Amino acid sequence: MSSGGGGSSEPSGVKKTSKRPKYSRFTQQELPACKPILTPSWVILTFLVAGVVFIPLGVICLFASQGVVEIVDRYDTDCVPESSRANKVAYIQSEGNKMCNRTITVTKTMKHPIYVYYQLENYYQNHRRYVKSRNDAQLRSPREENDVQTCAPEDNVAGHPIVPCGLVAWSLFNDTYQFSRNSEKLPVNKKDISWKSDRDSKFGKNVYPKNFQSGAPIGGGTLDPKKPLSEQEDLIVWMRTAALPIFRKLYGKIETDLNAGDTIMVLLENNYNTYSFNGEKKLVLSTTSWLGGRNDFLGVAYLTVGSICLFLAVTFSVLYLVKPRQLGDPSYLSWNRSPGG
Amino acid sequence: MKRFVYINDDEASKELSCDNRISNTKYTLWNFLPKNLWEQFSRFMNQYFLLIACLQLWSLITPVNPASTWGPLIFIFAVSASKEAWDDYHRFLSDKKANEKEVWIVKQGIKKHIQAQEIQVGNIVWLRENDEVPCDLVLLGTSDPQGVCYVETAALDGETDLKTRVIPSACVGIDLELLHRMKGVLECPVPDKDIRRFDANMRLFPPFIDNDVCSLTIKNTLLQSCYLRNTEWACGVSVYTGNQTKLGMSRGIAEPKLTAMDAMIDKLTGAIFVFQIVVVMVLGVAGNVWKDTEARKQWYVQYPEKAPWYELLVIPLRFELLCSIMIPISIKVSLDLVKGLYAKFIEWDVEMVDQETGTASYAANTAISEDLGQVEYILTDKTGTLTDNKMIFRRCCIGGTFYGNENGDALKDAHLLSAITSGSTDVIRFLTVMAICNTVIPVRGKAGDIVYKAQSQDEEALVIAAARLHMVFVGKNANFLEIRLNGSTIRYEVLEILEFTSDRKRMSVVVKDCQDGKIILLSKGADESILPYACAGQQTRTITEAVEHYAQLGLRTLCLAWRELEEDEYLEWSVKFKEASSVLVDREWRIAEVCQKLEHDLYILGVTAIEDRLQDGVPETIEILRKAGINFWMLTGDKQNTAIQIALSCNFISPEPKGQLLLIDGKTEEDVSRSLERVLLTMRTTTSEPKDVAFVIDGWALEIAVKHYRKDFVELAILSRTAICCRVTPSQKAQLVEILKSCDYRTLAIGDGGNDVRMIQQADIGVGISGREGLQAARAADYSIGRFRFLKRLILVHGRYSYNRTAFLSQYSFYKSLLICFIQIFFSFISGVSGTSLFNSVSLMAYNVFYTSVPVLVSVIDKDLSEASVMQHPQILFYCQAGRLLNPSTFAGWFGRSLFHAIVVFVITIHAYANEKSEMEELGMVALSGCIWLQAFVVAQETNSFTVLQHLSIWGNLVGFYVINFLFSAIPSSGMYTIMFRLCSQPCYWITMFLIVGAGMGPIFALKYYRYTYRPSKINILQQAERTGGPILTLGNIETQPRTTLEEEVSPLSIITQPKNRSPVYEPLLSDSPNATRRSFGPTGTPLEFFQSQSRLSSSSSGYSRNCKDN
Repeated sequence: MSSGGGGSSEPSGVKKTSKRPKYSRFTQQELPACKPILTPSWVILTFLVAGVVFIPLGVICLFASQGVVEIVDRYDTDCVPESSRANKVAYIQSEGNKMCNRTITVTKTMKHPIYVYYQLENYYQNHRRYVKSRNDAQLRSPREENDVQTCAPEDNVAGHPIVPCGLVAWSLFNDTYQFSRNSEKLPVNKKDISWKSDRDSKFGKNVYPKNFQSGAPIGGGTLDPKKPLSEQEDLIVWMRTAALPIFRKLYGKIETDLNAGDTIMVLLENNYNTYSFNGEKKLVLSTTSWLGGRNDFLGVAYLTVGSICLFLAVTFSVLYLVKPRQLGDPSYLSWNRSPGG
Repeated sequence: MKRFVYINDDEASKELSCDNRISNTKYTLWNFLPKNLWEQFSRFMNQYFLLIACLQLWSLITPVNPASTWGPLIFIFAVSASKEAWDDYHRFLSDKKANEKEVWIVKQGIKKHIQAQEIQVGNIVWLRENDEVPCDLVLLGTSDPQGVCYVETAALDGETDLKTRVIPSACVGIDLELLHRMKGVLECPVPDKDIRRFDANMRLFPPFIDNDVCSLTIKNTLLQSCYLRNTEWACGVSVYTGNQTKLGMSRGIAEPKLTAMDAMIDKLTGAIFVFQIVVVMVLGVAGNVWKDTEARKQWYVQYPEKAPWYELLVIPLRFELLCSIMIPISIKVSLDLVKGLYAKFIEWDVEMVDQETGTASYAANTAISEDLGQVEYILTDKTGTLTDNKMIFRRCCIGGTFYGNENGDALKDAHLLSAITSGSTDVIRFLTVMAICNTVIPVRGKAGDIVYKAQSQDEEALVIAAARLHMVFVGKNANFLEIRLNGSTIRYEVLEILEFTSDRKRMSVVVKDCQDGKIILLSKGADESILPYACAGQQTRTITEAVEHYAQLGLRTLCLAWRELEEDEYLEWSVKFKEASSVLVDREWRIAEVCQKLEHDLYILGVTAIEDRLQDGVPETIEILRKAGINFWMLTGDKQNTAIQIALSCNFISPEPKGQLLLIDGKTEEDVSRSLERVLLTMRTTTSEPKDVAFVIDGWALEIAVKHYRKDFVELAILSRTAICCRVTPSQKAQLVEILKSCDYRTLAIGDGGNDVRMIQQADIGVGISGREGLQAARAADYSIGRFRFLKRLILVHGRYSYNRTAFLSQYSFYKSLLICFIQIFFSFISGVSGTSLFNSVSLMAYNVFYTSVPVLVSVIDKDLSEASVMQHPQILFYCQAGRLLNPSTFAGWFGRSLFHAIVVFVITIHAYANEKSEMEELGMVALSGCIWLQAFVVAQETNSFTVLQHLSIWGNLVGFYVINFLFSAIPSSGMYTIMFRLCSQPCYWITMFLIVGAGMGPIFALKYYRYTYRPSKINILQQAERTGGPILTLGNIETQPRTTLEEEVSPLSIITQPKNRSPVYEPLLSDSPNATRRSFGPTGTPLEFFQSQSRLSSSSSGYSRNCKDN
């Protein structure tokens, strides 16, 4: 106030005070309000209801999860010949045939579509250096081809921009799987394994790989330079970086049912190096449910929370019966014995 | 330092070259940006945010887009800058209006119309009736033949009465023509801001015959912003212009006051900052270790073998940026916003409108509402604050005879009336003094009635009473007064006025009776400043008794005296007086000395007794606030007895035997020391007795006590809940405030007059009563209210709510920031401690600014208890005073809650979205949604009363979150493209959200219920009682029950150690030692130290009921 007014004719403060304030429920802080109070009955009821809702939900989730048939086959060590196991890294980096045969037995009938995933463990796709090393604009449009400055160290090869640039693309997973049942080939559908939105608008239809994996060192898989990026679905899947160090990525879909007891032969090409960092590679065949893949966590968590709620409801009821307290009992309000007198 | 102003001489005054342009603006167009930015960046928090924002420009370390910090930062800066700009623009406009106002000046004898800003020092300015004075002028001539004019100074000092201004003696009798061509020189002090002093001299140049030096006082000036009234025209020479005027100099930007809460929030911010640094260092080290052991093996990361020199710093800096949101950037803006609203609520409150004058309360300082809830001491003025300041003459004692003792109204006392008709000399003289020994101006109203314009309420009461007793003060014509007594007219010429000062405590006039030419000195003043100068023979015993008697009735007394002067004596003295009046240095003191020479051998006529009624509701207000644990000190310039009497009648102190008054007096150091010792001893021993003990001290003893026995006095101040300090000067009032503040008490000073201004400014909170003594106090104050009784609403309702709301808002702000930050930290452990952000830039930016700020803002209309309950149980204020709702332990509760919620969100998210679902963008959004859901429920759970607005903002915000994210998900180029649509179509997402809410809120809810029911705080109990409509209303006994004794309050210390007060989350977890929380932000710091400091103060620390009031 001291700063205002000044040379003007009326001191602002004085002028304001003479105005009578208008009455409204808001200005008087008298808006009608609901003031809930935590009565024992309400609280016990709430916990009871929560328990009653959570436990069946947990059961449903568990059922959904249990209904999913999942076959996991870890092959990273087994696919290295006994002789090379002492130095797996050297093996994987060496030239030559790295084919490997795996046999999977189907324990339960699997309805199609059966999703084929590869699972990597101890693989940090979420590492800051890795996550940042890509350029979405370049993937989308050929005009942004030279926009590679965020892609270091995989940005240029001999002065020419790499398309797609960056560590993420460079480290593309390149193991391949071929399935056969009773020596009859099981086709793997590799179409539509990526997000439609990615194909449509994140990866350009007229962007073609350039200078990819042409420098040293070579990271992961290569790309067909004739195919536009929007059709390179393995790349699209791979570029959706995982947030956790254990993750699965879709390899393809098997469009036929598998019966219990079927033996599936997998001919896989073991190319990808997870040995240098003790990473694991797994092949996963899985059906799906409305909740997704096999994951008991939600069901168990719901059951736990639900039982805790029930437990609390019972505890509070017992407490209420054993030690009833009258709410707002004035005898607790003795100012003369208490603070604030 | 002096300045010389040459009248009407542009050349000579050039060196002062200063036009009358007023500028109140803080900025110019050019310096606005740099100056404003500089100001904003002088705050620590802003520096911090700027540093973070700058670090983010380094793309190697920034976890997210720099926009996520720059956006909010720029937004927040823009908000405060535009507010400043807006205010400044309005100041500019009002300046412009004042500057471009047309005024008349006289140049070379010709009247000219110019703009106010073109006035130069030395110009003669010509004003007409009702004109505003454009700059500080020395009066040269007026339309009144005697050279008097009237001004209204309301804009300057807030006093609404008219004041007389006279032309200097040298200018008397100069005609209009000559006036316009007048030349001369003024010797005046350099510009200052004292609006009561102007010690200058003037010499006119030939052709003016009287070219002696003529002294000037404030009475000869017209100051900027005053209005000319009741005078046809006036003209004067400008001496100070523009920003150098008295008004301009007294302007200044008040130091912003910091509330205890702000200090606490700053402290907590500091703690969080330290925590952040620790986290950053730990993660930084971990990150570097991981990098060297693990990341080098992760070939796909391609860590270069050779690293630049700053390699080691990169990871810690990344974490610093990642953790920077721990300190919420929005807290400052949110707090400013809600504080503004608190202030508005005070101004809007119709229950705090003075019905009589229609004056609403006004909050000049919008930033300190929370402090109102934490007041521990109220220092109050008496006159005009506790009382109405409507003075009514009730009784008098003339020559030993008491009038008005029977019916309580001397005006109706038949004896007095008959004495007047019979013409008793003493009585007539008494009435004469009443009627003319003053500075009152009678103004004839339209109907022929006489209205008195007085600066002092007492004088007005006396003049009015005299008129009712047939001694009518009819008119004042320059120096001639007209009195009508029973039909005959008596004329007096005023020779000299010996003005009232607070040091002299008396005033006198020297008049000449125009009939017989006798020169008479008429005096009135306080008894102790009149009685010592009584003439030798007079017995003053009856007078003293009368004064005592009246004071006991709570009346204000004035002694009236009279002396006839010899002509020579007067003339001789008059020369000295003139001399003293024209000195430039120490004028006031010199005048007082000269006055003393005349005011002796007085014949004491008698005593007047004036009643000053208590304001409505004062006793109740004091009682309620007392119950709320607030201590009252009364500081008054009035007499001891009067003060005690008023104190008794307004519940300030209790009468014997319940109360006990301890007197500290003495004229010498030893006396005071002994007295102080005695009182202290009694205090220490009586603290265990059920008694209200108060001490009374007068100004003199206070001076000695504070100067020489400050330690003892401070101890006394701590011990005593009540004190009456009488006869204290304005600076002593301020000193007392300062003493209490130095003991780390929150003080509130309330007063109405100019003498309270210093105390009001000194106190943590200054409250002014916009009363009859002018608006000075109200203008200096942080809050101005119409009546004293509004104070209880101001403190108990507005102060308390403000405190509670800010406590929630600030802690919640930290909670939500910590929540998201903890998740980032957890995530870093599964992302190779590399500093990856789980959330995308948009989310991080919007989280603090949009998603979480709206619901919490609505807490400004949350009410934990109804106003009625608070009024019924004012003791509940204790929670605010002791800082129970915002302190390190409540904060620890919120900290724990955010940690727990972060764990819940993180664990559930990474497990529910494991394996094939673990896509980065999706996982980030799931975690963010979890946070938003939880925070909505947390706000809902902490809200005490839901109005439409609360529902709208809490649930509306949740909907808003989805709307905003759908929008972002629809932009193909954004990283979030289609993410939210995908998530919302998955049942898994909703089931996860439900689980997060259940798992996050269940335990918190259970804990709250448990505390609410089995370990309730007093607030909870009242809530329960109020909402069940239960037995609270029958609790009248607690209400009416007399104030519980100190003894009972303290004794059951056992209560304190019981877990009874183990608190809900936002109560101190350590509440078994409330002292600790109460004092935790005091200078002593820890509770232990506090107790030590207590025992340092007194050997008998057991008796510290005063401190233990917080137990």
